[in-house]
Amino acid sequence: MKNIALAKKIIAVVGAGAMMASMAACGSTNSSSDGKVTLKFAAFEGGYGVQMYKDVVKEYEKLNPNVTIKLQTSKKIADEITPGMKAGNYPDIIELGQGTESGLTETMLKDKAVENVTDVLDMKVPGESKTVREKLVDGIIGLYTNPYGDDNTYLMPMYYSPSGLVYNQKLLKDNGWEVPTTWDEFFKLGDEAKAKGISLFTYPTSGYFDAFFNALLADIGGTDFYNDVMTYKKDVWKSKDAKEALTLVQKLVTKYLNPDTVGYANGQDFTKNQQSVLDGKSLFMPNGTWIVNEMKDAPRTDGFEWGFAPVPTTKEGGTRYINTTIEAVWIPSKAKNKEEAKKFMAFLYSDKAADIFNKTGAVQPIKGMTDKVDSSMKVFYDAYNQENVKAVAGSFSTTASVEGKNIKDDLYTAVDSVASGKKNLSDWQNALNETSNALNAASGN
Amino acid sequence: MSSSTTRAEKGKKTVLERKRARFGLLWALPTAILFIIFMVVPTINVFRMSLFKWSGFSDDATFVGLSNFKTLAGDMNFVHACQNTILLLVVVTSITMPIAIIFAAILTQDRIIGSGFLRFVMYVPSILSAVVIAAIFSAIYDQKDGLLNGTLGFLGLGALQRVWLGDQKIVIYSVAFAMVWQSFGYYMVMYMSSMAGVDRSLYEAASIDGAGKVRQLFSITIPMIWQNIRTTLTFFIISSVNLSFVLVTAMTNGGPDGASQTILGYMYQQAYTNSTYGYGMAIGVVIFLFSFILSLLVSQVTKREIVQQL
Repeated sequence: MKNIALAKKIIAVVGAGAMMASMAACGSTNSSSDGKVTLKFAAFEGGYGVQMYKDVVKEYEKLNPNVTIKLQTSKKIADEITPGMKAGNYPDIIELGQGTESGLTETMLKDKAVENVTDVLDMKVPGESKTVREKLVDGIIGLYTNPYGDDNTYLMPMYYSPSGLVYNQKLLKDNGWEVPTTWDEFFKLGDEAKAKGISLFTYPTSGYFDAFFNALLADIGGTDFYNDVMTYKKDVWKSKDAKEALTLVQKLVTKYLNPDTVGYANGQDFTKNQQSVLDGKSLFMPNGTWIVNEMKDAPRTDGFEWGFAPVPTTKEGGTRYINTTIEAVWIPSKAKNKEEAKKFMAFLYSDKAADIFNKTGAVQPIKGMTDKVDSSMKVFYDAYNQENVKAVAGSFSTTASVEGKNIKDDLYTAVDSVASGKKNLSDWQNALNETSNALNAASGN
Repeated sequence: MSSSTTRAEKGKKTVLERKRARFGLLWALPTAILFIIFMVVPTINVFRMSLFKWSGFSDDATFVGLSNFKTLAGDMNFVHACQNTILLLVVVTSITMPIAIIFAAILTQDRIIGSGFLRFVMYVPSILSAVVIAAIFSAIYDQKDGLLNGTLGFLGLGALQRVWLGDQKIVIYSVAFAMVWQSFGYYMVMYMSSMAGVDRSLYEAASIDGAGKVRQLFSITIPMIWQNIRTTLTFFIISSVNLSFVLVTAMTNGGPDGASQTILGYMYQQAYTNSTYGYGMAIGVVIFLFSFILSLLVSQVTKREIVQQL
């Protein structure tokens, strides 16, 4: 559920007092004179839990007896380490991606306070013969890891998970339908399905359009355009490409949407929309790897099998994108033991570490890793291996906020109104442009 | 009262009285401190923070004067949330109060069989949590196999079936109905208890004079419990502002696309989700003033000469 983030945020604010107490506890560490090093490792406690970090730390300490790692994990790790960082007490290595509520990673990047870790890529993984670069999957070192758009890497990609269109393989196979690669095919399939009483599309709640729009925008206008949208370039929503994306989604949700969708698109009933895919009443929905676990107890049609596809492309033979959530590990420029931190960073890509992470479902962008993932997840990761499929990562820039304007509301939440016909295309586009421009002005680009 | 007049007459307190006063103050102190820390200070802070631009996380809060309030005046989402809240207040209050009074009047009659059981059944919703109510109404309002649409279909009223939580024109009334269901039992019990205090002989006298049950309700019962109605009305309006937020958050989360968003929900969204804490607090100030003025108005408008029971 996405709303949990909201609750987390308020808990984070309420928990401020508790934070101060925990900060005091991790105030004193440093390397001592006898060659012993103490590394401070701060990691975000996501859905994968904390045990995997404890295990990896133990393995590394076994390999390097002179290193002690102080592990700090929390669901609100950014809030816990920020006060210390302001006081000059930096963790040596931090595991936290972009697009979190706190925006700490973005803020640090904006302040140029993240260490350049390009050399880690060419370091040999401790205990192995390959370099980190050789182990990483192709194309993962890109805009996400090199946020300033040059060859320098600042964020090392830790785990990644895809989100795109989820469907029932059995239903498509039984009807002799192929997974559509272009929007023309997509709509054509929609017409054929409609004839059989099946809707082409549904969505759990409008919030799930984030991954969908990311992929669509990247396909229509390329990654530069995608970045322009995410960083609120002036009048970007007035562009032809933006209009094309909105037009396609409007057509999709007004003509091909399961008619029950909007009535169920709330925190209480969203699983009923997901159920319509399990029941064979809808073909596709935007979703991610978590769906398998979330709906594991739900009834389903005989032979149901999860399928996963990238969002279709607008051009014949064009690139299809898979929205990819990447978590990152990085070193603050002001960390005390940067060299030791880099060695540990390289170790995170060792087979030993990768296996530990994989055991709890955290998949690293390491070659061959997708073969090792749990069979229920494999179909999601296999999608990357298809022809003309690329990953797109990121979210709206969080460097600015404007009173009363929320771009996610104007883009994603508005889909409900577009689907019900309450909002027309030009209203949608104008509202988006206004909000985007306001955020542009506020972020001072 | 009398002791203070005696004190004033005497002009000075006895040692014992002074000791007692000190003792009383001492025991009131913990509550007073808690009240100040958890009620007064936060309220003042709401007013103070409404003048700042602050994300809620970073350490730089910029003083922006009344700018947040100016933005608020032109924010259509805010206006819409206000409309929804006022609509809920008007609709829910004007349905809940009469129903509560009527049911209370009926159930206090002697000859109702199983009145205790009925009272219990009607009271139960008010002790349920909002999440449970949301789940119940999600089942009732379900567009396909929900209780409501199912019943309508069964009765051959298929034309009246609606997507109760998905239609942007209807959703707010669906929420209103859930609120009425939730709260009327509580107020009914409150009115029943005060009705029980009305002297039976008044009704006996009235019925000898030829007054029917309806006449008795308007001429005896309601005037006799008017003070209670006044108090509960104010209380109800204020708690409805809160209840609407809780219930909407659990049922629709303001959706579809803000169609059922309430003013408190919008404040929460702005203060936390949108990282504009100062703006959220400005909305908080508006809510504070709104509730305050509304309660004042209600209590002024409903002022009547108190009917004393002799």
